Amino acid sequence: MASVSLTNVVKAFGAFKVVHGVDLDIADGEFVVLLGPSGCGKTTTLRMVAGLEDVNGGEIRIAGEVINDRAPKDRKIAMVFQNYALYPHMTVRQNMEFALKPQRLSKAEVDAKIAGVAAMLGLDVLLHRKPAQLSGGQRQRVAMGRAMVRTPEVFLFDEPLSNLDAKLRTQVRMEIAKLHKQLGTTVIYVTHDQVEAMTLADKIVIMKDGHIEQIGSPEEVFARPKNLFVATFIGSPSMNLFRMTAERGDTGTVLSSPAFSLLLPVELGAKLKPGQAVTLGVRPSDVRLAQAGDADAIEARVEVVEYLGVEALVDLRIGTQEFIAQIPASERPALDQAVKVVFNPAGLHLFDSESGQAL
Amino acid sequence: MNRLSTRQATLVYSVTGIILIIFMIPIYLILASSLKPSADMFSRPPTVFFTPTLQHYVDLFTLRPFHWNIINSLIVTLGSTVFSVTIGALGAFALSRIRHPRINDAAFWILSMRMFPPIAVVVPYYIIFKSVGLLDTPLALIIVYSTANIPLTVWLMKGFFDEVPEALEEAAQVDGYGIVEIFYRITLPLAAPGLAVCAVFCFIFSWNEFLFALMLTGSSAQTATVAVMSFWSSDAVQWGRIMAGSFIILIPGVIFVLTCQKWLVKGLTLGSVK
Amino acid sequence: MGYVNRRNRTIAGVFLLPTAAVLFLTTIYPMLYALYLSFRNYDLAKPFIPRIFVGLANFQEVLTSGPFLHSMLITFKLMGVTLFFQFVIGVGLALLVTQRLPGMAAIRTLLLIPMMISPVIVGLVWLFIYFPELGYFNYFIGLIGINPIPWITSTQWALTAIAIADIWQWTPFVMMGTAAALQSLSPEPYEAARIDGNSNIDVFLHVTLPQLKPVLISLLFLRAIDAFKIYDIIFVLTKGGPGDATETIALYIYRQSFTFWRMGVGAAASFVSLIIISVLITLFFKSMQKSAAAR
Repeated sequence: MASVSLTNVVKAFGAFKVVHGVDLDIADGEFVVLLGPSGCGKTTTLRMVAGLEDVNGGEIRIAGEVINDRAPKDRKIAMVFQNYALYPHMTVRQNMEFALKPQRLSKAEVDAKIAGVAAMLGLDVLLHRKPAQLSGGQRQRVAMGRAMVRTPEVFLFDEPLSNLDAKLRTQVRMEIAKLHKQLGTTVIYVTHDQVEAMTLADKIVIMKDGHIEQIGSPEEVFARPKNLFVATFIGSPSMNLFRMTAERGDTGTVLSSPAFSLLLPVELGAKLKPGQAVTLGVRPSDVRLAQAGDADAIEARVEVVEYLGVEALVDLRIGTQEFIAQIPASERPALDQAVKVVFNPAGLHLFDSESGQAL
Repeated sequence: MNRLSTRQATLVYSVTGIILIIFMIPIYLILASSLKPSADMFSRPPTVFFTPTLQHYVDLFTLRPFHWNIINSLIVTLGSTVFSVTIGALGAFALSRIRHPRINDAAFWILSMRMFPPIAVVVPYYIIFKSVGLLDTPLALIIVYSTANIPLTVWLMKGFFDEVPEALEEAAQVDGYGIVEIFYRITLPLAAPGLAVCAVFCFIFSWNEFLFALMLTGSSAQTATVAVMSFWSSDAVQWGRIMAGSFIILIPGVIFVLTCQKWLVKGLTLGSVK
Repeated sequence: MGYVNRRNRTIAGVFLLPTAAVLFLTTIYPMLYALYLSFRNYDLAKPFIPRIFVGLANFQEVLTSGPFLHSMLITFKLMGVTLFFQFVIGVGLALLVTQRLPGMAAIRTLLLIPMMISPVIVGLVWLFIYFPELGYFNYFIGLIGINPIPWITSTQWALTAIAIADIWQWTPFVMMGTAAALQSLSPEPYEAARIDGNSNIDVFLHVTLPQLKPVLISLLFLRAIDAFKIYDIIFVLTKGGPGDATETIALYIYRQSFTFWRMGVGAAASFVSLIIISVLITLFFKSMQKSAAAR
């Protein structure tokens, strides 16, 4: 097992920079997820750690040693590929044997390792089959098994669940979490699916356009997004955004827009100067229907109601401002009706409209 | 496409049938004449029902050393096929895997070598082989045929290698294999059908070739095609023998058409038709 | 240097080098040698004349004397005629054999046989068919009252005879390529046209043909490149004669080099033909890249 650290790592294809100086420290045994939209540089970063792409600047260390110019095989890593990359002309057992062969183990050791991993993943009955005879989920398991037999110091996963259907994805996701608990090996895991990131990660690294936007635990990136990108990227449905201006009111700082105005809690208000342009972020789950006696309720029109069983998503509109409320399904209003809503004061996020940074 | 009415179908069948018969006549003539007794060869009207004879085939191997010509053809054909496919597959793998903006130009450039008229290089080959004593040897033809077969193999195999996912090679890399081992343990086995297709094309081309064989061989390395042509001038036109030899020569090509038709399109149009 | 970079160099060294080396020795070197010869007075019939540098004299002879230009004219004439018929018959055949009727696949396969036959065999069987006095062709046209035609012995008919043999061998190629392209077309536009009630001819001209165009252009250049090199069939049927009636560029080079043993002149003509064919090859690659981009 080993720690991994990236210091100012740069990748460019010709004049086109795809990773701009990434810094990242991964502790021994940590499960780190690189999360971001496609083209954000997350896969390229992973491939640089694997040694499948050359590093154009900065240093990558595994267990303290700089491994920039080492061959992939000398990095003590194993990788699970997006399309599994199983050798189609070999059986499951041969796939694993092939992965072990360069380690020059005895026949008994190889058999023991394969048997151990096969038992752990339930592959015993599949060992003599070829990849074409396996289902998607089974292939995924074999790909993990092939990586596990090598007992690497670091596991690299490149979108390993993206080819599975939704149900299987949930199931395999849980298995991966269980395996990590069991093995305790350092994991770097690339995905564009925030649910995978939230459920699996000790630490999420959110990337965009080759830059790291935020590093933090799932709770941190959800509760305290550092900027507008992270705020809207994490969470589903996305955070509602309102462009507002700060004003000094009689009882404290007030945010106002043509649609509505809102009195801020004292500690938030203290961060703003009068006249400052801010973007207010409120997650749909922090919008609820006003009850009698709620001060500061905002009146909005119901445009669409999406019934989801336990909950309902309600599209609301005030003038040109649209936003979504996520409320218990039993409370859902009728269409085209005016309703009053309030924002949960603890769920208000303020961002500087110009820089997009959290305030 | 819409379904045809019975009348339309009849029309399609009759037009296609007539064209088919016209196209098959020369092939029928080769086979029929090779089996026709010499006395019937030019009887008019042509005898359709005659007693077939294998005399012309027997003559080929008794009166003429046609088996030696076939052996020469086989040596040259197999030699060039093995050499071209080996060298060509290596080059194709490189062109398929190296990331370089001008790699396609390089592939085109190699392919273009196949398209140059053979007659343009026959003179230098003649002089070069003469000076190194390779004239009238199978090796000379093996070398010359490779100039057409290697570019074709490079071009076709590049297409087959392009279809092998690079992730497989990356997986093997991570597992600790070197590039050479990855090539022959992973990539090549997966592109094996392509290798067979290339081998067949090299075989047919070398087997059928005439111009270089005529210019660069004399009596000892004479191939089957040149030998059949020589029956024309030397044997006072033994049509039976010519047709018997021709029929033997056209067998590999016909087998190829009947068995691997789907590869024919890809190979002959150089991938410009999918 | 990074590992991936090193690996790429290994690939270039281990895999590309053998191909490059072999192609250099077997193709580039002879071509350079041809270039060298084309500037020399290399006459094997007169071995005692020193093989001196003659500058552009060989090229001058080739480009200004009648025979080469005549052979060029013959080459392009033959190319024009054979390509025209190969495409008209070939595309027509392709439309027929792609009809969904039982037995069509077998017919298509049988029609492919001619192009897999050695051109020298093609030459020989057509020689048999054209044979003066005894040939089948004249016998059959005699049955319908046409006088015997001196196919390969008259300057008037020899080129036609060669064209027929070449059309026979290579029409299947056009059919095969067109049929493959036809079968890869999406059925939806046809269904749409049927619903709209367009006539068959309209559908062919406005739906089928535009989609076939890139393939047909590629096939056209491939055939043109081959037609430019035509040699074996002519060698068997007429050896360029009678006189110079069927002397194409390839036959001209052959005669200069191996009949008159004037290797320098032959080499110069070879070079001129290389330049012409390079243009065709470039056009072919352009058409291929274009259709690949359109796909």
